[in-house]
Amino acid sequence: MKELEVFRKIAANPFGYAGEIKKSGKKIIGTFCSYAPEEIITAAGAVPFRIFGTNETITRADAHIQAYCCSLVRGGLEDALSGRLGFIDGTVFPHTCDSIQRLSDIWRLNGKFNFHFDVIMPVKLNTQSARTYMCDVLEKFRRELQESLGVEITEDKLKASISMHNRLRENLNKLYDIRMTNPGLISGSDIHSVIKAVMVMDRTDAAVATGTLVAHLENPKQGSLKAKRIFLSGGACIHPDIYSIIEESGGVVVGDELCTGTRYFEGKVSENGDPVKSIADRFCDRLVCPAKYFSNTARGDELLDGVKKTGSDGVIFFYLKFCDPHSFDYPYMAEYMKKADIPNMLLEIEDSSGSEGQLRTRIETFISTL
Amino acid sequence: MISAGIDIGSITSKVVILDDGRIYGSKIGFTGYNAERAGSSIYNSLIEELGIKHENVNSIVATGYGRNSVQFADKTYTEILCHAAGAFYNNSDIRTIIDIGGQDSKVISLSADGNVKDFCMNDKCAAGTGRFLEVIARALEIDLENFARLSLQSGKPASISTTCTVFAESEVISLIAKGESRENIIAGIHDSVASRLSSMVYRVGLNPPVMMTGGVAKNSGLVKAIENRLGTGVLVPESAQINGALGAALLAAKQNYRQ
Amino acid sequence: MTEKSDNTKIRSVKRMKEIMTAYYIDAKTAGQNGKKVAWITSGGPVEPLIAMDVIPVYPENHSAMIGSTKMAIDLCEKAEAMGYSRDICSYARADIACATVNGGPIGGLPRPDFLVCCNNICGTVMKWYEVQARYFNVPLFIFDTPFIHTDFSQEARTYVVKQMEEYFIFLEEQCGKKFDRDKLKDVVKKSVEAQRLWKEVLATTKHNPAPMSAFDAFFHLGLIVTLRGTETVNDYYTELRDEMNERIQNGIGIIQEQKYRLLWDNLPLWYKTKWLSDTFASHNACLVADTYTSAWSFVIDMIDLDKPVESLAMAYSNVYINISIDRMYENLSTMITEWKADGLVLHSNRSCKPYSFGQYDTARRVSDEFGIPTLMLEADMLDGRLFNESQAQTRIDAFIELIRQRKGE
Repeated sequence: MKELEVFRKIAANPFGYAGEIKKSGKKIIGTFCSYAPEEIITAAGAVPFRIFGTNETITRADAHIQAYCCSLVRGGLEDALSGRLGFIDGTVFPHTCDSIQRLSDIWRLNGKFNFHFDVIMPVKLNTQSARTYMCDVLEKFRRELQESLGVEITEDKLKASISMHNRLRENLNKLYDIRMTNPGLISGSDIHSVIKAVMVMDRTDAAVATGTLVAHLENPKQGSLKAKRIFLSGGACIHPDIYSIIEESGGVVVGDELCTGTRYFEGKVSENGDPVKSIADRFCDRLVCPAKYFSNTARGDELLDGVKKTGSDGVIFFYLKFCDPHSFDYPYMAEYMKKADIPNMLLEIEDSSGSEGQLRTRIETFISTL
Repeated sequence: MISAGIDIGSITSKVVILDDGRIYGSKIGFTGYNAERAGSSIYNSLIEELGIKHENVNSIVATGYGRNSVQFADKTYTEILCHAAGAFYNNSDIRTIIDIGGQDSKVISLSADGNVKDFCMNDKCAAGTGRFLEVIARALEIDLENFARLSLQSGKPASISTTCTVFAESEVISLIAKGESRENIIAGIHDSVASRLSSMVYRVGLNPPVMMTGGVAKNSGLVKAIENRLGTGVLVPESAQINGALGAALLAAKQNYRQ
Repeated sequence: MTEKSDNTKIRSVKRMKEIMTAYYIDAKTAGQNGKKVAWITSGGPVEPLIAMDVIPVYPENHSAMIGSTKMAIDLCEKAEAMGYSRDICSYARADIACATVNGGPIGGLPRPDFLVCCNNICGTVMKWYEVQARYFNVPLFIFDTPFIHTDFSQEARTYVVKQMEEYFIFLEEQCGKKFDRDKLKDVVKKSVEAQRLWKEVLATTKHNPAPMSAFDAFFHLGLIVTLRGTETVNDYYTELRDEMNERIQNGIGIIQEQKYRLLWDNLPLWYKTKWLSDTFASHNACLVADTYTSAWSFVIDMIDLDKPVESLAMAYSNVYINISIDRMYENLSTMITEWKADGLVLHSNRSCKPYSFGQYDTARRVSDEFGIPTLMLEADMLDGRLFNESQAQTRIDAFIELIRQRKGE
């Protein structure tokens, strides 16, 4: 499918792609989280570039941060210190978990980047004062970004950026819907490539390319796939092989609530009213991250909704080792699933490679019991 | 003046005798479960071979994990100071020492006068230690002695992601199942240990020249992997394995405890 | 050798134990006396609770007690059996498990009427309190203090001051009575006095020999955490400070022949304080001060009694752990100078990521700027399974050798 090639290529070599962007004269702003205000970065004429864990062995990062830290943080730091992220002009750290918070300090003190932005968002999202503060913080970021990059982020530019990002999100939502109704049409690892590529691409190009892909897929030629329907719950998924392992074990992923998935593109930014306020509102209302607070049971309810909507047969909690916010939520979310009679399993992985044999055995066993 | 250094490690124990600051003799044996007996038996058999009477030994320093179980030692020092003293004696230009012991690996940085500036040791787990290599050797059914030769024949080191001994062992087993060659697996293991060690080097600061001590330094495959990681040469002295005991004997020679 | 045992004995310990016992009895019988109980994080704004006659209870202090009485591993394992990862905070694990079995040294904490969580010490407390809010099915108030990397913005200031007002409204709802601002002022005044007295107690260890050590501070800290804002605390710390000054006058040090002055960073190893204290003492080394117990006195100057609401909100936002590692370094380096430290011991505490991440950079900077040796101890504040005594012994021995070498001994 030629519509997929562009994503596969970029997902396989995001750094090479970034180098090309750089040559075109655009600034690149590294981001660490799904709460990075991408609309504002795009409106500044820069490209938000999502940083994932490294593919290389971690050596230099270990001189700055202990090994009981997740591979996303250690890997990102490794790439920064080794110069592999040299194309980045600056980095945005939205306030999320304790590890990212300290990573920001270490990054600021040891990284060799021109700009550093801490977007210290509220942690609770359920009060009016938190919403106001979210909006204030985003305004502050907008001012800082304008100053650093020497560009004006006008109301019009913001509105155009929001509308383009909305289009991109809508395309990704459609892609997920297509997979949900007809999971055989596109493989899990291809979906993963699309999301991964979108998160580093020039977003205007991404909106066009996802539009083309969705238009192509909306005319299904294949029949439906007979496989167990799996829902993934967790943070950043940096293990693309999981999709093929699930498929080879007789399952298929039909939905997720991952940072590298639904949490990234769910919810629309209102195109009426104050643009920054609208961005803030989406962050407060969309699928919540476990490092933020909406209510005591928001995440359990959201997961249950997702599982029901996708008609999933089972849930795999797919966590990065040392991710505290997710680990704290696991027992109650598993309990929620149990009460609803939804089989579930926890998989904790350290980085992108590793004991694939064990992973395969556990997934095969789980799927065969569904 | 005769001085003795005794290094009781978790796997092997080493004894070095100095005569007026020059190496007079040395001996290596297994520690086993009784560190106290191992220390005295290796020491006694060495002085017997050398024809020295215990009464004529002026000072004895013990080091290593079992240092406090050597009842007849005059003083104890940690391996850090002893490895520093031994390495500095071998080559006074040395600024960084990597020592891989049985259950501990350490990186020591030296100042120009041979004093220890800083040191860093592995965290609680055994990854990157001699014990780690032993476990892997067992999983591969290969003697550790052949590790260097085989790893140097590797075309493409396998990627070993985990640095946990237990998980690395299972990772190795799955690599075997996948048909990966032993040469590549061993080279991969060496690279994983090397990356672990080099991150410790970066913690104290990479300051060449670098020397590697301890029995594991005999493994030229690992030494090469560390050189690749650090981008600098690593010197291995002839006396690498007895370096801690040598340092202990040198520190002993500074004091005449008995007379 | 009778003299030796006298030296390590601090008179006030007995009184401290009495106060803590009375406090926990009060808390456990609160329901019978018509009083409300709130669970609150150790860095949380407690003064409004005291002003409303609510008994504050601190799960963190309780977890520390669980650690000291060596009951932690059992409870941690219980939490792991409930599905909580071994990698999450051991205080949280112990508390979560303890609540379900009423275990631990005092048979569990009294049931909360509501929870107050301030995230100025970590993001972990929020997840932990969510768990307890679900378990007890009680209201949870989150006091959200934006982290300070380089500055505390005007926007953040507005947000925290607003939350202080929201907190008062929350308390009015929970207690069914009007919030008394005059009383708050009085409580804040006492609380500031407590922090000032605590600072004076800690400052006594600048003397040679130090009349007490950080290990004693870890113990006496209990009151500033649990009862600041009450008269009892101020009386107690006055007494303790006077006892320390008396020891200084009589030249009594907490260890025999103190030669080396060390600083400690991070929380203690509650289950190993005696072993660590003895091990350092065997080398004539005294841990004279630490960043952890000092944290309760770092922000006193920010509190303005004329503006209690605003300044309290600001002070709670600026606490030690809610700031960047370079800001923390400023506090640490002042301590190194003022306490004339010969070395720095950093506990890399697996349970506390915000306290521990950044320590490698801090240690390097201390060694570059002060030239003193630093020691990294890998362990955990509660989970003894993460501590290896023989490895620690070797590291401590080598660390002391470096201090001696530096002093030309």
